Amino acid sequence: MSVTASALGRPTPVERSPGYWAGVVRRLRRDPVAMVALAIIVVLVLLAIFAPWVAPNDPYRSSMIRRLRPIGTPGFPLGTDELGRDMLSRLIFGARLSLLMGVTPVFVAFFVGSFIGITAGYLGGKVNTVLMRTIDVFFAFPSVLLAIALSGALGAGIFNGLLSLSIVFIPPIARIAESVTTAVRKIDYVEAARASGASAMTIIRVHVLGNVLGPIFVYATGLISVSLILASGLSFLGLGVKPPEPEWGLMLNTLRNAIYVQPWVAALPGVMIFITSISFNLLSDGLRSAMDIKA
Amino acid sequence: MTPAPLLEIAGLTRHFKLKGGLFGRSAGVVRAVDGISFEVDEGETLGIVGESGCGKSTTARLIVDLIAADSGTIRLGGRTLGVDLELRELRRQVQMVFQDSYASLNPRLTVEEAIAFGPTVNGVSVREATALAHELLVKVGLEPKRFAGRYPHELSGGQRQRVNIARALAFRPKVVILDEAVSALDKSVEAQVLNLLSDLKRELGLTYIFISHDLNVVRYMADRVMVMYLGEVAEIGPVESIYARPTHPYTQALLSAMPSMDPDQLTREAPLAGDPPNPINPPPGCRFHTRCRYATELCGKTTPSLFALAAPRHLAACHRAIPGSGHPDAPRRLETAA
Repeated sequence: MSVTASALGRPTPVERSPGYWAGVVRRLRRDPVAMVALAIIVVLVLLAIFAPWVAPNDPYRSSMIRRLRPIGTPGFPLGTDELGRDMLSRLIFGARLSLLMGVTPVFVAFFVGSFIGITAGYLGGKVNTVLMRTIDVFFAFPSVLLAIALSGALGAGIFNGLLSLSIVFIPPIARIAESVTTAVRKIDYVEAARASGASAMTIIRVHVLGNVLGPIFVYATGLISVSLILASGLSFLGLGVKPPEPEWGLMLNTLRNAIYVQPWVAALPGVMIFITSISFNLLSDGLRSAMDIKA
Repeated sequence: MTPAPLLEIAGLTRHFKLKGGLFGRSAGVVRAVDGISFEVDEGETLGIVGESGCGKSTTARLIVDLIAADSGTIRLGGRTLGVDLELRELRRQVQMVFQDSYASLNPRLTVEEAIAFGPTVNGVSVREATALAHELLVKVGLEPKRFAGRYPHELSGGQRQRVNIARALAFRPKVVILDEAVSALDKSVEAQVLNLLSDLKRELGLTYIFISHDLNVVRYMADRVMVMYLGEVAEIGPVESIYARPTHPYTQALLSAMPSMDPDQLTREAPLAGDPPNPINPPPGCRFHTRCRYATELCGKTTPSLFALAAPRHLAACHRAIPGSGHPDAPRRLETAA
């Protein structure tokens, strides 16, 4: 194909509009609730990363003498647990496993679920039917039950917990991905791209991904809090993390006997789960409204 | 002898199956496009008109295989699709501009990326494609410096449709199908875009298939007009001939419904009553007979085929025009033989 444009040489410089994501970031930064939520998450992540340096005490060192001290005890600002371990240090170290258990399954499910959903949505027809009906089977089980059943079948442990949670989150993400992709696929610009003779892979890469990954991502961030709570639930039931590892759900479990002795100390892991999950939810909401413009 | 037409469509058919009930039992068939044939000469503009749902847009999508045809052949430049013409080549040479200028542009791509996409898919380097995009922006009257880096939502409807035209032209097509391409624009912008289309056609030697429900616009743009009714061709012919002597009662009704600029030529009675019949179960015989004032028993039984009228290249599918058809208004067979 002869291109007369090549005679022109290099294209003239053009005025560029800020891209879509620049706009999203700008709107997100104007949202105070989302920014507070983001700040809390950043702090939690930093605490988790730098736990050995931040934590005042060894989270594993127990002492029979100073068990279940109240909040405000000198040297133990958040008290001690049923084995006399420093609550503050355990909560800081607990952020590591809890965030890992909350974020990783959603991350894995985001990739696998998007792949399944976009494939089903773009190809349509029989491929869609086979993939989505298989996905529908998983919706027959409540997510908690499914996570418990899978963890129980695979055996306790962090890896198996992550695996079962990932499997739990694939169906809802795949369903969202499928419906968004089906909608985008019918829009004229995809039709025009098909009429250009581009391959399905090229059309998905250039025209579909950019328009579907955003909504799927927003939905996935909303699942992080669910994952966090489910992971804590698995640990609580003894199917996730094993003692003496510090993990918020597990800590909630082992401290529950102390609820009449030191109710405030016993509630602390729950408070952390609450703060973290609500922060992820609020950030997800902020992201949704920052992305929800006509362009 | 006249040269072979650029685009030849023969017996193009698409029926949509309606699925209903359990296990997708077929609940009926929509005869969206039912065996239509026409040809388009190089350098001409063929207008396609008809009511909503008569199959105009489906026809356009069938030509570039965005919807798979049930049957029919498509020939471009003497080559037949699926025999000695690849779909990819056909799609490069026959491009479409859609009605919805907003939906036809990916909101995540800048104007230059949108225009350059086609050429890059067909093996042109990104840099050359971008240069080509800038060149085409100039052609459609948009300054590259100002517009190339913009996103679709920053442009007006008319500007977006200019970008869509540039996007289609980036393939260096022979035929451009304009599917209601100016219908959504307001009148002053519509006129500008129509003039642009005329200029581009002259400059680049394009052939247009111009789909519209606006008969005034079709009259201005088209060389020949094809009138469709319920998935069939009712009448086809040169624009002067059709507008001066419409033969099919449906064409007559359409033209009399056309808003006139002359206050003395008021439309006093509704030319047609009712909606078109359901294309799921089109009426037997002539599909128009349920709304036709001239309909006789014959029209409900026998389907009229396209018949060449006295004017050159003017064909109509109406028993009243076919000599010896048995319709009381039809000319006698003897007269034509004499």
